[in-house]
Amino acid sequence: MWVRFERPNVTEMNDWIAIGALAFVGLLIPLGMMAVSYLLRPSVPETSKRATYESGEIPTGGTRIRFNIQYYMVALLFVIFDIETVLLFPWAVVYLDAIESDAVTLLEILGPMVAFVVILLVGLAWAWRNGAVQWAQTPRQVDTDHNRP
Amino acid sequence: MNAAIAPLQNGDTVLLPERIGELTGLSEFGIAGELIAAFLGAFIVANLMLAMTGVAGPWAKRKITAAFTDRIAVNHIGPGGILIIVADAVRLLSKENIIPENADRPAYDLAPIVIAGSALLGFAVIPMGSGIHLADPEVGLAFVFAVAGIASIGLVMAGYASGNKYSMLGGLRAVAQNIAYEIPLVVTGMSVVLFAGSLRMSEIVAVQNETTLFTIPGLEWAVPAWFALVNPFAFVLFLIANFAEVGRNPFDMPEAPAELIAGYQTEYSSVYFVLVYLGEFLHIFLGGAIIATIFLGGPAGPGPAELGIVWFLLKIWAVFLLTQWLRSAVPRVRIDQLIEIGWKGLLVLSFANLALTAAIVGLIA
Repeated sequence: MWVRFERPNVTEMNDWIAIGALAFVGLLIPLGMMAVSYLLRPSVPETSKRATYESGEIPTGGTRIRFNIQYYMVALLFVIFDIETVLLFPWAVVYLDAIESDAVTLLEILGPMVAFVVILLVGLAWAWRNGAVQWAQTPRQVDTDHNRP
Repeated sequence: MNAAIAPLQNGDTVLLPERIGELTGLSEFGIAGELIAAFLGAFIVANLMLAMTGVAGPWAKRKITAAFTDRIAVNHIGPGGILIIVADAVRLLSKENIIPENADRPAYDLAPIVIAGSALLGFAVIPMGSGIHLADPEVGLAFVFAVAGIASIGLVMAGYASGNKYSMLGGLRAVAQNIAYEIPLVVTGMSVVLFAGSLRMSEIVAVQNETTLFTIPGLEWAVPAWFALVNPFAFVLFLIANFAEVGRNPFDMPEAPAELIAGYQTEYSSVYFVLVYLGEFLHIFLGGAIIATIFLGGPAGPGPAELGIVWFLLKIWAVFLLTQWLRSAVPRVRIDQLIEIGWKGLLVLSFANLALTAAIVGLIA
């Protein structure tokens, strides 16, 4: 039912040369703007001009803090699902051709992938139940939420 | 196929570097000519998108927000205030660059380049019509998602290296948000691949425009099978995930001005601020370009094929207008709500959409 589209008559090499060229231009433009700005801008060093901005107060403490463990959990979950999407891409690409070729039945091509996704969704449900996909709350916030009328 | 909808442009099968090579005779010079042609093409694409952000950032954004809030906004310099673009560029570039004393230095300087550069790189594979299409690799859609994802690194670098608490919080939020919405975005994009059977951008556009969804009786208008019409559910999911991905309302938590000053860009001034701001706008337009390409038929539209670029720009500006509309009309969600919407709502819905689409494609084909 779909009309297949003729491949553009180019080699893969050309494509990556062009992409590399844009990457280079994408680097060159910011650097060029920095150079222009370097020529234009003044430099007037002053006491405490470079102080960290904290709404005009004298800054206290540093930013090198410890993260909540939950941040790590969410990141881990992301890596798992990201790998899953990588594994899903080849399947999505061949899906239409495989069905049209009549070499496999619908169950044969759809079944394994649904099973694969369901296993991961069970994992998500587990993480959900354990509160891994929630924004961490401080004990005081939990208390406030708990005692809210 | 009705004549009212332009068929796929012939120009799209000839990529921009090749066309430049033919027009200037550079293709005679082998690999060196090819390289120069590729650079010229890249330069055209990059500057086209920079011009778009130049118009959008200092001028259109102010005008649109002003219209929503019943104000006038910039109107002093040039007709309709349009020359504010030049004035702002000169003003910002000639500002003193203040480096905060706690800044972590190469990362602090590299972050703006990463944010702006990664957004520009994404436009390499977007077919913009009228022959403006830089490259068309087999992995087009995966490439554009991957490149758009690089911005997260830039945001972490900016947030962490500034040595500022607001920046740190903004950076942490930006990453939590990006990783929560990246997967719904990619999985929803994958449901389009199921229809198209390819990751190649030109092929995704071609499939949408070569098929007629239905014909409006009486008018004889053939409505092409743009994936936004074929699968509106996926379109809405993708739009929502995209707004979160580029950090726009109602998901603009990373820089929520009322809470975090400006999030990860609090400590950036002068040209660094320009680059971070530019990168954000480029990302909005890159999101719009992906939406236009995989859901709205790319550069197709009524009229001759040469108008492709006009239709394409209209489509990405429509997405930009939508972001500005939401900015004025929709309240911001809280950070904990945002994470829950992503992981518990959109992720599950996007997998449901993928499974349903696969089943429907399987039953129809």
